[in-house]
Amino acid sequence: MKTKYSWLNPRTKPVPWISGTLVLLGFLLANGTRSETWWWAILLTGLGAFGPGLLRELGWLRDKDEFQIQASRRAGYHAFLAAGLVSFLWIAFIRSGPRHLKAAEELATFFAALLWFTWLFSSLVNYWGARKTSFRLLLIYGGAWLLFCIASEWMHPLGMLMQSLITVPFFACAWLSRKWPRMTGALLLAASIFFFVLLSRLHQQRGLGLVTSATTMILFIGPLFASGIALMAERVSEERPLAV
Amino acid sequence: MTNRVRYFRFVKAEISQAALAERVGVSRQTIVAIEKGNYNPSVELALRLAAVFGVTVEQLFQLEAGGGDED
Repeated sequence: MKTKYSWLNPRTKPVPWISGTLVLLGFLLANGTRSETWWWAILLTGLGAFGPGLLRELGWLRDKDEFQIQASRRAGYHAFLAAGLVSFLWIAFIRSGPRHLKAAEELATFFAALLWFTWLFSSLVNYWGARKTSFRLLLIYGGAWLLFCIASEWMHPLGMLMQSLITVPFFACAWLSRKWPRMTGALLLAASIFFFVLLSRLHQQRGLGLVTSATTMILFIGPLFASGIALMAERVSEERPLAV
Repeated sequence: MTNRVRYFRFVKAEISQAALAERVGVSRQTIVAIEKGNYNPSVELALRLAAVFGVTVEQLFQLEAGGGDED
């Protein structure tokens, strides 16, 4: 029976919306005003990001079923492994010689980005599978770059067209990932290495700190690299007949 | 482990994934994951699924060859 509220999907749960709003609000308010930084706004972001998970573990929030809980726990474990491994790499690097961190906050931001990205990607692969996740990520990548090209060069059509050509490989890989996932995975890994080298040199030229550079790498190259790994590691699933 | 959830859903119950999910108290994603073989449900969920289709759990889920005790 349709009611005037039927447009609101009854299966839509409020928790993701509330936590997403807190995260966004925290980021937007964190810079505060010109004279004052609203540092407490960052706490809103943390609350939005980690609050629901804590409540679920305490048993006070039961909005996920067993599959979703298992996917969340697996994603959390992957984030733990990634952050743990990188922590030791960082410690070894710092102890290998005289190092100076420009800003302590940068290091915390780097680990937050690493944790968040690993958790998000693992969750998506659990829900959608490697192929669908890679396909959608590549479409989002290509679409975001295309929008950026249009926004920055809309007054120069030829320049806009030339810049837009950069997005073609992303859309091509998205299409290829459905047909030949392992080959596309290898391509994405190669592309990740290429962009890593390119960005490293760019950052060096601009004098960006190692931590800032690493955070940018995670957010920019991370999805490509992780998609490549996931596609290459995916088992080839056989078609099962409907009736056994 | 293999399962015949999709088969029974079409043949016995003739319901959608969403409807089945609602009946057993899980999300549609969970039913999708089970049917694709990407997730093995808990005993409780397996029993609920079997009850919806009116079959036994063994008719719904089977160990792959070499996965169980052999005499």
